Amino acid sequence: MVFAGNRGAEPTVAVDKFSFEVKESEFLVIVGPSGCGKSTVLSMTGGLTTPTAGQIYLGAELIRRPGPDKAIVFQNFSLFPWKTVTENIEFGLCLNGVDKAERQRRIGYYIPLIGLQGFENHYPKQLSGGMQQRVAIARSLVLRPRVLLLDEPFAALDAQNRTVMQEELVRVWSEHKPTVVFVTHSVEEAVFLADRIVVMTRRPGRIKEVVNVRETTGEQHWRAIPLDQVMRRNDFQDLRGRIWGLLRNEIVVA
Amino acid sequence: MRYEKLILGGLSLIVMLAAWWVVTARGIVSEFLLPSPSAVFEALMRLSGGYMGSSLLTHLKASMSVVLSGYGAAVLIGVPLGILMAWARPVDIIFGPLVSILRPIPPPAWIPLAILWFGIDLTGKTFVVFVSAITPCLISAYVGIKNVPPDLISAARTLGASNVALLFQVAIPSALPQIVSGMRIALGSAWATIVAAELVVATSGFGFLIMSGYRNFEANIMAVGMIAIAIIGFAMNALFLEIEKYAIPWRDHE
Repeated sequence: MVFAGNRGAEPTVAVDKFSFEVKESEFLVIVGPSGCGKSTVLSMTGGLTTPTAGQIYLGAELIRRPGPDKAIVFQNFSLFPWKTVTENIEFGLCLNGVDKAERQRRIGYYIPLIGLQGFENHYPKQLSGGMQQRVAIARSLVLRPRVLLLDEPFAALDAQNRTVMQEELVRVWSEHKPTVVFVTHSVEEAVFLADRIVVMTRRPGRIKEVVNVRETTGEQHWRAIPLDQVMRRNDFQDLRGRIWGLLRNEIVVA
Repeated sequence: MRYEKLILGGLSLIVMLAAWWVVTARGIVSEFLLPSPSAVFEALMRLSGGYMGSSLLTHLKASMSVVLSGYGAAVLIGVPLGILMAWARPVDIIFGPLVSILRPIPPPAWIPLAILWFGIDLTGKTFVVFVSAITPCLISAYVGIKNVPPDLISAARTLGASNVALLFQVAIPSALPQIVSGMRIALGSAWATIVAAELVVATSGFGFLIMSGYRNFEANIMAVGMIAIAIIGFAMNALFLEIEKYAIPWRDHE
């Protein structure tokens, strides 16, 4: 992926020689230093940006444009401020012609699932950051996407809320287990959530290593256990140290 | 806080009225230049009975009908044009230069030309009001659409929004607060302009009333005209702010 330079500036190669495959129902986390192009990878996967070279497929279908089969959750929530919680979640369903009875059924399912009963008619401004991101996640999940793309979804939250939301995401995701591509710069978050971790190099972003977390966790993934307990495990800390070791050489000190 | 504002605001008004009364009652300023409050009140009484053939209500009707028709046309043309200019590049290219050239001309500067074109009856004044009100409508709609957060557009596209849905269900609602406040500013501008036009040529209306007072050396009549203009302008603005609160419930007011 090459971005053209503005006003005669050199074009930027954001992502280069980047090839990976995500399996059905897999939770893949891409971790990399700031500015390595990890968000660009996600945006291309979501169809919002067209790669200047190379192709991305969802199943057998070449990704050309954004759509509800590959919903994105953004770092800054991007809720529609003029819509209430219910209306935000319902919007994608309306756009895709889902009839009213089915809309109500799905909303009735997701609002309790994300713990927002009693807030159905609140506007986003009236909610905390964590609650807003729950709505954004529900807004995407309600469409039953084939792949759920999350772009540093918890980066804007404080540390306590982030931990709670990581656990919540696991719980909500476990219900239907859509395929997930999750981008983050937090090693801890990656190790806690992922089946596999793609570690990226600094710009131009390439794949440095793909780490299979399942090899460490075994059949019972630790994301089902509260994070503070997992943190105390040696195997968790070892893996975290290993990923951090891969990453630290790539971080350019500004 | 609210009470303090109310008390202090009321106090400054009372002090001004008291100063006015003292200055005129003591004869510090001649009655010819500054009529006393009682003289103004007496003029008001005379006017409600009818002055130079028309009552205060007739003047109100005359000014208001011109304002509303000119303003209505400005909203109906200016808002959609501003939205389209911001949304579709070709429209911007066609109308942009025209708007940039015409915009710096102060609305009252159109009055002589409007009289030449449309004569001294209501059509000419309606035209001038239209010219004065269309600019704020158009600019605020344009800026409102241009300022729609790109993330909201991205989010809607990933939810499956078509271009038509993006415009009508995302861009316009997002720009609505700005569009409505532009319409409020336009109404104030229309009100100021009708008075200016009536000062130049009219057979009724508040501008005409002020000029009648001027021609007969009756400062108290002029004062009544000015006070009426102030009260009506204030009331229209206040009414509009209420409408904004009702129409845009997701926004923080105050």
